[in-house]
Amino acid sequence: MTTQQKITDSPIDFAEDIIHDVKNSREEGVLKCVQCGMCTSTCPAARHSDYNPREIIERVLDGDLTIIEEDNIWNCFYCYTCHSVCPVGNSVCEVNQILKQLAINNEIAWDKIYEYLGFADSYFNAAIGAIPEIFFTQIDEDVPGWWEFRQNLADIRDELNLDPPLLPDDDVIDEVSLILTITGFKEKIEKIRDSQEDIK
Amino acid sequence: MRDDLKVGVFICECGGNISDTIDLDEVKDSLDVDFIGQFENLCSLNGRKIIRDAIFDHDLDRVVVAACSPISHEKTFQDYVKPLNPYFMDMANVREQCSWVHSDKKKATQKAITLINASIEKVKQSDAVDPIYCQTPDEVAVIGGGIAGMNAALSLAKQGTKVTLIEQSPSIGGHMAKIGKVFSPVKIAEECGMCLLNPILNELVWNENIEVITNAKVIEAERRSGTYNLIIEKSPRYVDVDRCIACGKCSEVCDIEVPNDWNDGLSMRKAIYRPFGQSYPEAYVIDMENCDKCGNCFRECNMKAIRLKSKPEKMLLQVGSIILATGHKLFDMDKRPEYGYDRYDDVITQSELGRITGVNGPTKGKLLKSNGEVPKRIVMIQCVGSRDEKPDGHRYCSRICCTVALKNANIIKHKYPDTDVLICYTDIRTPGMFEKYYKHTQENEVRFLRGRPGEVVKKGDNFIVRVEDTLKGEFAEIEADMVVLSTAMEPSHGTREIAEILNIGTTEDGFIKESHPKIKPVTTDVQGIFVCGTAQDPKDITESIMQATAAASKVSEYNYGGVEIEPFIAEIDREKCTLCGDCIGKCKYKSMSIQGDEVYIDPMSCTGCGKCLVACTQRAISVNGNIDEKIMATIKGVLSKKEDNQRMILVFLDNIGYTAADNIGVNRLSYPESIYIIKVHSVNRVGPHHIHYALENGADGVFIGEFPGDLMYDEVERKVDKVKNTIASLNQNPERLTFSKVYIPYFSGLARKFIDFDKKIEELNEIEL
Repeated sequence: MTTQQKITDSPIDFAEDIIHDVKNSREEGVLKCVQCGMCTSTCPAARHSDYNPREIIERVLDGDLTIIEEDNIWNCFYCYTCHSVCPVGNSVCEVNQILKQLAINNEIAWDKIYEYLGFADSYFNAAIGAIPEIFFTQIDEDVPGWWEFRQNLADIRDELNLDPPLLPDDDVIDEVSLILTITGFKEKIEKIRDSQEDIK
Repeated sequence: MRDDLKVGVFICECGGNISDTIDLDEVKDSLDVDFIGQFENLCSLNGRKIIRDAIFDHDLDRVVVAACSPISHEKTFQDYVKPLNPYFMDMANVREQCSWVHSDKKKATQKAITLINASIEKVKQSDAVDPIYCQTPDEVAVIGGGIAGMNAALSLAKQGTKVTLIEQSPSIGGHMAKIGKVFSPVKIAEECGMCLLNPILNELVWNENIEVITNAKVIEAERRSGTYNLIIEKSPRYVDVDRCIACGKCSEVCDIEVPNDWNDGLSMRKAIYRPFGQSYPEAYVIDMENCDKCGNCFRECNMKAIRLKSKPEKMLLQVGSIILATGHKLFDMDKRPEYGYDRYDDVITQSELGRITGVNGPTKGKLLKSNGEVPKRIVMIQCVGSRDEKPDGHRYCSRICCTVALKNANIIKHKYPDTDVLICYTDIRTPGMFEKYYKHTQENEVRFLRGRPGEVVKKGDNFIVRVEDTLKGEFAEIEADMVVLSTAMEPSHGTREIAEILNIGTTEDGFIKESHPKIKPVTTDVQGIFVCGTAQDPKDITESIMQATAAASKVSEYNYGGVEIEPFIAEIDREKCTLCGDCIGKCKYKSMSIQGDEVYIDPMSCTGCGKCLVACTQRAISVNGNIDEKIMATIKGVLSKKEDNQRMILVFLDNIGYTAADNIGVNRLSYPESIYIIKVHSVNRVGPHHIHYALENGADGVFIGEFPGDLMYDEVERKVDKVKNTIASLNQNPERLTFSKVYIPYFSGLARKFIDFDKKIEELNEIEL
């Protein structure tokens, strides 16, 4: 396949936008990538899926905006290994977060975050981020004994002479909910929820 | 009196460069001097006769040459005014700072007249001073006895110079002695490194001009007038070199075994040992840290050479110049635990591989794993600690690791064709002829994978190297039974130490910095100190030798030519000086010290900045050459020609700023005619009284520029701020004074600053009218 680069094309603009994103802490790191692949060689997602952090940067530097439509960018789960091993001080992990946000802004992959809306709900219900119940079965499969541990958590804490976990009281919960509503967070997640439930 | 001095003005047309823009007839009509002449090309050889004849015929005391920049021809005209003192001549720069930057003929002519007038006033204030010639002692110290230091010492010795070679370890030879085989890009073959090193070593040992001191370090240094006094500490060898015949019987009876550092710890040696077969001095040495003083060696030695009670000695070495060849060390693998170097015996460095494949190494040249088997697959990992911005990594490329890996891969392939060698690289850097060696390596069936491994883990008997094959975009896990790390070259401890002791600039990476990386190789920031080899940056043997001979050549230049110094430096009036020492701490250039019962000023490091004048409560210090008065006279000379409604901005620049300003003209950019540039020896010599005088007597603005690399930069900036405050308190506008950074290459920026400041002053003039 031949890619055509017109005289008016400016592939570097994509990387520039990423550099200026508030989530990017590594300044010009993206531009200094030499495609050595050290990120990929240590990436757990790369070992178990088609996700390839080096390729993410390659496509960003090519100005390939279609990267935000890729399913596999959702395979990164923020272990930050690529961030800590990169020899030129880049952070694919942060670039990935920026790309995901771009995808969301462009109404792409809302089905991916639909699964996680339970996290958002927990801020309204408890003012803290908590694991949504829909994940419990899966976690118990991955970590045998987890469900039992969770059921008995109060007893275990008691046995260890630990105080009950500190949870925000109702005033705090109301205040946090109010902030999340005023700032438009609530509207945003409702929009995503509605869109996905409509599809269903 | 100075006003009665007879002044002659010589105006150069510069083949039209000046006369096309400036009306020289008008210039001549406007000046009131004892002689005035106009010439086509004053710098040509007949200019000498013209000027000398005029000096005799008109009995001139002072000369002004209105021509190009003093940066171009000051030396020429200082010579042409003989027998007058060279400093009785001043140049009015009517080319670079007038005809080349202005196009309005009328204004340019007016400005030329002003510049010449300022020069006339200035030169009347000049005192006769003579340039100072410093001859430094011929003796040279070469610090570091590796391939660079050895070659530098030899080159100087062959030119008849006495050299002392100081080596920290018990033998000279350096890294090259343990490298095993070497290759050059022209010869597609590896050859014995020791066989190439040995003749150099022998030649050095037999050269009568060279004294080799091993087990020794420079621990203190002081410089006086071009002479370095080095204090050298010599650690005891505990063996008398003159008696020892290196028979080795002592070592046989020694019971203590410790890892042999010369073999990178891969084999053991005794506490009394000889570093390697060809080491020099040809004598054994006791490693006292590990010796238990059992006395076996003492009793065994027929030559009675053992000296268990030796003590460290200090000695003084006086030299005129120093060559630093303190070398490098290799990246510490503790910093990259992901490659398992500390955990696994068969994860080694290229240096260790060099020892293993060396016939004088721990396995007598057999490639063996720690279990005694020949490895089936060796993976080499490039750029370990190089091109690495992670903590403790180095951003630079260590330059030789690609070719070292290729060399070691070829050596393995020659002897063990069945061993698979895979080099994991980011980029293969084999410039010039080295590319042919790269191709040769590929022909030898060495394999290459483009990707930087993230980790090495143990799985069963083998290692797994995790890497992405970036050309395929595939994640790969490669099984290997030996992993070789190509570690970065970094400055040795000795390099860092000597930089501190001698107060020499280093690069951000800790290597010795050259005074200009492009056009002044091997010279350092300190006069008389030169650098070569890997102390300066990562490089190979050939380049180290080239730099060594370059450094030797620079020392010879220095020894034969002596050093000419402009005489505008500080001087102490011993009658007044109370030896309080206040000036010494103030001097940013460290040129002052108390020697015996007087304050001594090193003419080679004093810049005449005048900082010490302020510190001296006894007013015992002056700067030669009547500088203060010359600056004031120049200011007066410029302002005396000011006409109504004419804007005048005085710009004070030292040599660096002045060169930048010249470059504006050389590149034919322009700035307003209101800009009058006054060249000063040191910007710090422009005092508050100069600035106040200028602003009170017609200057619309004052611009002071300083190069941020100058040691006095901060000082000058602070001073300008202070003067601004006083100006404000005198109800004048402090905005009329400005301070700015200047850089030689950034001349267009300087032109823009002139334009901006002129505009600002124009606005202020309108507001304050």
